[in-house]
Amino acid sequence: MRDVPWSGTGSDGADTKALVVEGLDVSYGDAKVLFGVSLRVEEGQLVACVGRNGAGKTTLLRTIAGFLRPSAGRIRYGDVDLVGWKPYEIARLGIRYVQQDKRVFSDLTVRENLELASYATGDRNWDIVFHYFPKLKELLDRKGGYLSGGERQMLMIGRALLGNPKVLLIDEPTEGLAPSIVELLRDVFRELKKSSSVVIVEQNLPLVADVADKVYAVKEGRIAAEISDAQAIKGHAYEQYL
Amino acid sequence: MSNTCDPAMRDLEANVPSLKRTLAERMLGTLKWWVGILVPFGVLGLAGWILPLPFVMEVLIFSIYTMACNFLLGRLGFISFGQPAYLAAGAYGTAFYLYYFGTDPYMGIVAGVLAGFVVSALAGAVFVRLRSDYFALVNLALTVIVFYMLQKVLAPITHGDNGLWFLDRMRNTPVLDITNPRQLALLIWLVAVALWAFYKYIDGTIFGACCLATKTNEDKVKFLGYNDFAIRWTGFVLANTTAALAGSLYGIYFGFVSPEMASAARAADPVVVTILGGTGTLYGPLVGALAYVGMKDLVSRLVGNWEFFVGLLLVTVMLAGEKGIWGTLQPIAQRWVGRWVSESRE
Amino acid sequence: MEGNIWISGVIYGLSMGSIFFLLAVGLSLCFGLMRIISLDQLLYYSLGAYIAYTVETAIHQPWLSVLSGALAAGIASLVVERWVFYRIYARELTFTMITSFGILIGGVGAIKYVWGLIPRPASIPVDIQVSILGTPVPVYRLIIVAIAAGVYVAIQIVLNRTVIGKAIRAAVEDVDQVEGLGVDVYRLFTLTFVGAGMLSGLAGALHAPLVMVDPQMGLEVVPFVFMVVIIGGLGSIKGTLVSAFLVGQVVSLGSLIYAPLAQMAPFVAMLMVLLVKPTGLYGSPLLRR
Repeated sequence: MRDVPWSGTGSDGADTKALVVEGLDVSYGDAKVLFGVSLRVEEGQLVACVGRNGAGKTTLLRTIAGFLRPSAGRIRYGDVDLVGWKPYEIARLGIRYVQQDKRVFSDLTVRENLELASYATGDRNWDIVFHYFPKLKELLDRKGGYLSGGERQMLMIGRALLGNPKVLLIDEPTEGLAPSIVELLRDVFRELKKSSSVVIVEQNLPLVADVADKVYAVKEGRIAAEISDAQAIKGHAYEQYL
Repeated sequence: MSNTCDPAMRDLEANVPSLKRTLAERMLGTLKWWVGILVPFGVLGLAGWILPLPFVMEVLIFSIYTMACNFLLGRLGFISFGQPAYLAAGAYGTAFYLYYFGTDPYMGIVAGVLAGFVVSALAGAVFVRLRSDYFALVNLALTVIVFYMLQKVLAPITHGDNGLWFLDRMRNTPVLDITNPRQLALLIWLVAVALWAFYKYIDGTIFGACCLATKTNEDKVKFLGYNDFAIRWTGFVLANTTAALAGSLYGIYFGFVSPEMASAARAADPVVVTILGGTGTLYGPLVGALAYVGMKDLVSRLVGNWEFFVGLLLVTVMLAGEKGIWGTLQPIAQRWVGRWVSESRE
Repeated sequence: MEGNIWISGVIYGLSMGSIFFLLAVGLSLCFGLMRIISLDQLLYYSLGAYIAYTVETAIHQPWLSVLSGALAAGIASLVVERWVFYRIYARELTFTMITSFGILIGGVGAIKYVWGLIPRPASIPVDIQVSILGTPVPVYRLIIVAIAAGVYVAIQIVLNRTVIGKAIRAAVEDVDQVEGLGVDVYRLFTLTFVGAGMLSGLAGALHAPLVMVDPQMGLEVVPFVFMVVIIGGLGSIKGTLVSAFLVGQVVSLGSLIYAPLAQMAPFVAMLMVLLVKPTGLYGSPLLRR
């Protein structure tokens, strides 16, 4: 793929920022689900969180995105602590959360979905969306409710790309999608790393092995292992922790 | 809920050794039963000789009325803006019996409770399936229907807005003579204590635990093999029959019933009092009823505008964390009694 | 002769339906977007009526007084939203419902304090009649229907043509998703709440000349508004419109058949609707419990 002109601000190195999570505790009512989770995402890195259902991966992303308030711990991006920020403030800072379950607004067309993202971010240039997902251009007037799972995922990631995001938090992007779409997303992830940091929660281990720079194995609300060695990732070394 | 009477909490405390309780607190736990019955109701009973008797009766009946709502809201998670319908069912059940058929006030109470049971059993079969938001609204609609039934449709037998007077039709009864205000107050007091003990007992049973569980997660209850419809229906009928009993006692106390009892304008009273007292707490209804009736009495005598202050208090209680008056006082009282117990041991 | 009664009955039902619609649509939108049942809308209704009555008595400008009633209601709702609701949006439905009830009765108390207990007659802005098929019909009632129709069209335009409206529609479906895109949803909440408050105030100001202005007027319409919202389905604008006019007609025509029926029939109708479809005619079954 050709080089893109809007590839973020990171390349000059002046304001490289890492997303750092330290000692995060999160509870739903009385039930504690995350116990002292720490992780670090460097700029331009693709970090994958793997683990079983209910291990707390989604909770982790939702907490970073501001939808859940941790009972302890810090979430730093650059030199700001994001704990206590509202989700929309975090999104405007450039940390975008792409939910699981392929949820788009079923009553709104693709165009309206993108308009909404433009309204939120002030970025009216949709070229980047169509660069990654040219198919969306043909679907502009289709309602979200009539899109296939893959098309919804494209729209969800596409929406999050407006406004020059710094960190993308993507929850279960390939769950239930056709192999061809997974192939497409694999290429997209590889390219996205050049312009932003990416955190994916993923069950598809071959995909993780292909694209991740660092893998966290999450087990029962704790980080069971952190693997950043390329060979180890390729060799699925994290499987033993799941 | 920091309330130790709450079965889920109690189980938790029993199973989690890290929640080490002091000896004093454990002693308090065993004392609670007796303290619980004797102190608050005893004080109120004694107050019957100091405070005006009508006030005490009003508070007691209102606390019975509120116990029902407290159970619905605190245990089943149902918010009902339709309590007046069941209150009126009880009151009119009693009134019909005493006006048209008999003269024994005890039979009148039985008739009222039966009427309440029938109305809530029928309504419950439809209502408990509904989502909580619709549930609140549908109950209100039932109240409006009952109100117009009593006022207009059934006017030939209810005498519409004029109501039914049966004060002088009630005959004297042996042992506890209902026609004597002081003995009636004693009866109401006994009923309130009995109901209080009954709801306390329910909390400890499997049924009580199931109620609480349906409130939190109905699916899990289903997966555990319990029939969540039956649980909710039983709870609903239980609570609203209690409300009907309160209505019946109101009828006996005034010797008069009118459609005003089912007025939609009073629909939120029990809910408000429940919240005011502290939802799900055992003393909440009593404390709430005392505060509400007292404040209405006092404020309307002094300023003549109780709505404003009740509204203000309600919003304040909600914003302060929803625990209500008793919910806020309880930890303080517990600490206080706990200190007293441990001191007396040394 | 017979026909005359029915025609005026239908017109009466339409105007009642219009008032119900103006009142219920705000309640419905607030539920759809913020998941609150805002009983205090009925306070803004009373407030709108009282302000309209007061301004009208002072300056004798009927339409200006209606406008000031709606504006005053909007301001009151803004204050309440900022001070109370803003802090409790995240709480469960029963919590906000009871809080809003506290605001409602507190407000009724305040109204009693300011204006006293005595019902007051508000003068009618347009006191002429036109003849429809030989039946004299008060023009004012027709104007109310026209205003309600205008409001419905305006709401549809805002929701379907403006980006704010699209954001509101999207947030009704999934508020987290909208916030995740970076939209300040609290601003949407404030806008919707104040809009609802103004519509309630407008309803009150328009209704005032047809009924007496009195402190309990908000509480008296509670059952009807609830019913409209339930039959239509919480959160649906179209459903609210349909059921408002349905209820208006049932109340109006029912009273022609048998007077006591008028008050009760709609509630019976509501129970029937709920038995068949527990979420109302147009309500979405997807909303969380």
